[in-house]
Amino acid sequence: MARYFGIDKIGKLFSYIQQNGGIRNTLWKMYRMDEGKAGTLIGTDKYGNKYYEDPTQFYGRNRWVEYVEHRNLEYDGSQIPAEWFGWMHYKTDLPPHRDGNRKHYKWMADHSENLSGTTDSYMPYSTTRPKVEAWDPKKSTAQ
Amino acid sequence: MLRAPMFRALVLAQLPSRAGILFTTSRMQSNAPAKAPEKIEVFIDDQPVMVAPGTTVLQAAAQVGVEIPRFCYHERLAVAGNCRMCLVEVEKSPKPVAACAMPVMKGWRIKTNSDMTRKAREGVMEFLLSNHPLDCPICDQGGECDLQDQAMAFGSDRSRFTDINHAGKRAVEDKDIGPLVKTIMTRCIHCTRCIRFASEVAGVDDLGTTGRGNEMQVGMYVEKLFLTELSGNVIDLCPVGALTNKPYSFVARPWEIRKVDSIDVLDALGSNIVVSTRTGEVLRILPRENEDINEEWLSDKSRFACDGLKRQRLITPMLRKPDGEFEAVEWESALITAAQAIRNAPKDKIAAVAGSLVDAEQLVAVKDLLNRLGSELLCTEQKFPTADGTSGTDLRSNYLLNSSIASCEDADLVLLVGTNPRYEAPLLNTRLRKGYVHKEQDIAYIGPEVDLSYRYEYLGNRSLTIEDIAKGKHPFAQRLKQAKRPLIIVGANALARNDGKAYIAALQSFARQLKPEDKNWKVWNVLQTNASQVAALDVGYKPGVEEVLAAQPKVLFLLGADGNAVNKENIPKDCFVIYQGHHGDQGAQLAHAILPGAAYTEKQGTYVNTEGRAQQTLVAVSPPGMAREDWKIIRALSEVVGTVLPYDTLDELRNRMEDIAPHLVRYGHLEENNFYAQAEQLIKTQASSFQGDVDVNQKSLEDFFMTDSITRASPTMAKCVAAVKKAQATG
Amino acid sequence: MAAREPAKRIIQQVRPILSVDREEARQRVINLYKAWHRTAPFIVEKFDIPKSVPQVRQKLKEEFIKNKDVSDVRVIDMLVIKGQMELKEITKIWKQKGHIMRYWQESIEYKPNDFLSKFMSGHN
Repeated sequence: MARYFGIDKIGKLFSYIQQNGGIRNTLWKMYRMDEGKAGTLIGTDKYGNKYYEDPTQFYGRNRWVEYVEHRNLEYDGSQIPAEWFGWMHYKTDLPPHRDGNRKHYKWMADHSENLSGTTDSYMPYSTTRPKVEAWDPKKSTAQ
Repeated sequence: MLRAPMFRALVLAQLPSRAGILFTTSRMQSNAPAKAPEKIEVFIDDQPVMVAPGTTVLQAAAQVGVEIPRFCYHERLAVAGNCRMCLVEVEKSPKPVAACAMPVMKGWRIKTNSDMTRKAREGVMEFLLSNHPLDCPICDQGGECDLQDQAMAFGSDRSRFTDINHAGKRAVEDKDIGPLVKTIMTRCIHCTRCIRFASEVAGVDDLGTTGRGNEMQVGMYVEKLFLTELSGNVIDLCPVGALTNKPYSFVARPWEIRKVDSIDVLDALGSNIVVSTRTGEVLRILPRENEDINEEWLSDKSRFACDGLKRQRLITPMLRKPDGEFEAVEWESALITAAQAIRNAPKDKIAAVAGSLVDAEQLVAVKDLLNRLGSELLCTEQKFPTADGTSGTDLRSNYLLNSSIASCEDADLVLLVGTNPRYEAPLLNTRLRKGYVHKEQDIAYIGPEVDLSYRYEYLGNRSLTIEDIAKGKHPFAQRLKQAKRPLIIVGANALARNDGKAYIAALQSFARQLKPEDKNWKVWNVLQTNASQVAALDVGYKPGVEEVLAAQPKVLFLLGADGNAVNKENIPKDCFVIYQGHHGDQGAQLAHAILPGAAYTEKQGTYVNTEGRAQQTLVAVSPPGMAREDWKIIRALSEVVGTVLPYDTLDELRNRMEDIAPHLVRYGHLEENNFYAQAEQLIKTQASSFQGDVDVNQKSLEDFFMTDSITRASPTMAKCVAAVKKAQATG
Repeated sequence: MAAREPAKRIIQQVRPILSVDREEARQRVINLYKAWHRTAPFIVEKFDIPKSVPQVRQKLKEEFIKNKDVSDVRVIDMLVIKGQMELKEITKIWKQKGHIMRYWQESIEYKPNDFLSKFMSGHN
């Protein structure tokens, strides 16, 4: 009956607020992530991002990541390292620390986030020789 | 050195009766005395033509527009007659005759397209090709090769060359003859044009043949470099790809390049050139025929310095930051900064110094701007003696090569003072050499001992000699007085010295005393070294920077002034220097603001050469980066300053130039000079004395290559200097 | 033959497109103007353009005033027909937002005309 009228959602709201540590923290979380839901902490990756699961949510929305605090609003999907990518995308149900079959080779490159739009982003450059060589004032004063 | 080249001597011995006329080309005949010998009639392909006796079959055919194929024959060189390509049938003659060497006889019927002629050509072509590699696809001459063209036109349509023993074709080892000319000697067909050019025109008997028959080779006898200021011309002369342009090797094909007719500005002769460009790059420079200036030759500097146009270029406006570093800026801020400096300066403290490569348009625009602002401080880098109060440059005849370049070869006695024409104006030197070899010209020289490529009477390097000649005490003075067409050529660098006034005073009045046979013959000649000097003096720039710098200008325009006349030492301390030019060289180092301009291949500019002939360059490529045509920079600056110049287009500017000096826009026309007596009077009022010995700036070949901002930026020119120094070191 | 020529020309001149005299043409123009005027709020709303209704009407007035010196009745008629076509294209949403915004020509960069701006932009 309570489910029918959705009164249980009020109870859930209170449990979320409780889990998130009060109204203030819940509001902060909603500001930062547009969501205030809470779940069980599955693990933390090497950057400090926290991975949560709430099986009561429907499939596709029941796993999420809470990016590390210092990122503030500057977070991006590419900050999730490769180990957690599979779990986040439901490729596997085993998070990396519980999966014993993951190989770690030394040639594996470290994860790097997508740098597009930042000053470190890749800029293509021309490799052809310029037709006219410009005068370099520094070079010629050194002569 | 032989006065007549070897070929002449040889053929003279063989054909004593016709020898004298064999070597006179049709052009030379026009200079011959008026007494016209009776003409004779010959028939070329049944077309009657009247020719002077002694005309060769080839020249007679050319008169009716029939071109006979040739490899070894060249208009400006002695006849060799060794390629046999010009064989033609003459009626009643059992054998075909070589058209280039055979003078016509009365009533000859020459058949240039008969079966016999065609068969002879085909045979010659077959022999040539049997020893010529079939590497046209990788040959730099491909597309502009005489052998290729003539093989198509006159050769057989099939080959009988079968190499059944796989012995291979004749092959010859390549020679290293310097950084300019690349040799692929296997391609050589032994036309000996290069040998004749070197010994007759350039005056270096370095090239020659060794061996006979199949073993014959063209080379330098010993391993050395072909070091002359005219070496590039053998590339044009070579009918095949044996001698090619080394910096241009494997760069482009003749059908992919655009050709623009232009004018060379690296010496004061204004040689006519063709600029070859592709994809906005100057690839090579070739000479363009102009009988009055460069015939069809070009000096190595003019030909090979074009790679300097791609290096050390100023491509953005720059401003000097307070810490002394240059910063690239937009045009707007550069113009505003320059305009502020001009507006803040007192009216009569704005000065301009014109360098050696400036076009007349820019000179006029700068002069108009400064005059409108209220300043008269305009000068050229190179000095020229001026009289106090009046100017020595008021009358053109003072500073021009009055008796045009072409008539220098007609003089019978030449006195060179303080000039080395071989390196200051190589193509004037070929004229003098031509007069010396072909016309009994005698040449005397005052200055440090140099090699002029012909024998001259050396009068020492004492300035006392000049004084003696001027006063008529020297024996040479008598000879000059007796000469029918005497010529005194004084170098601009000698006149640019502090005692230059003494030179001009002594020699010009002496030149006036001489009474040449022809009333219009001009004795007094100045050989300028800078392409811009004559135009600058014509529009009223003062020669020499002293006066301008003495006025302590607050703003100084350097218009491509890289000649070290203005330098760190003599520049006023609180002066704002605006450098406008195309290369980052000595001038740009001094600047507070740099305005990038266009080089001579990138603008339509007027240049007046040393004989006073105005010619214009045309745009071959666009100026690089943010560089602009020079007069437009001045026009734009004038608007920012607030003193707008009244011309927006080149035509309007040229109308203004016509108002100032009409000869500036009469392109290709040589203006008559006059007021010689008055010019002399102006100078004569000055008493001055000589200081020191006569000297020239360019003494040997290594001084020739790098003389201005373009050539100093050119890697090819640097290689040339290195090669010459190395050759001198090894002896 | 010669007499027929001028007569023919007169007939050609007076053959009307829509209006027979200036007054009728004027009426047509005013009607068209009114129709456009009424459509202004619709344009602003449907095309979601960053212009207000008064701005649209201002532009409408400008476009009409551009042709104020046209005196030939046939030309006026032709312009009215074209105006009606435009209007139909707008009300039927055959045009799109960009077509409407072109009336203001905000995105058109004119080439420099005077020497200095030509020099700065390198267009000479």
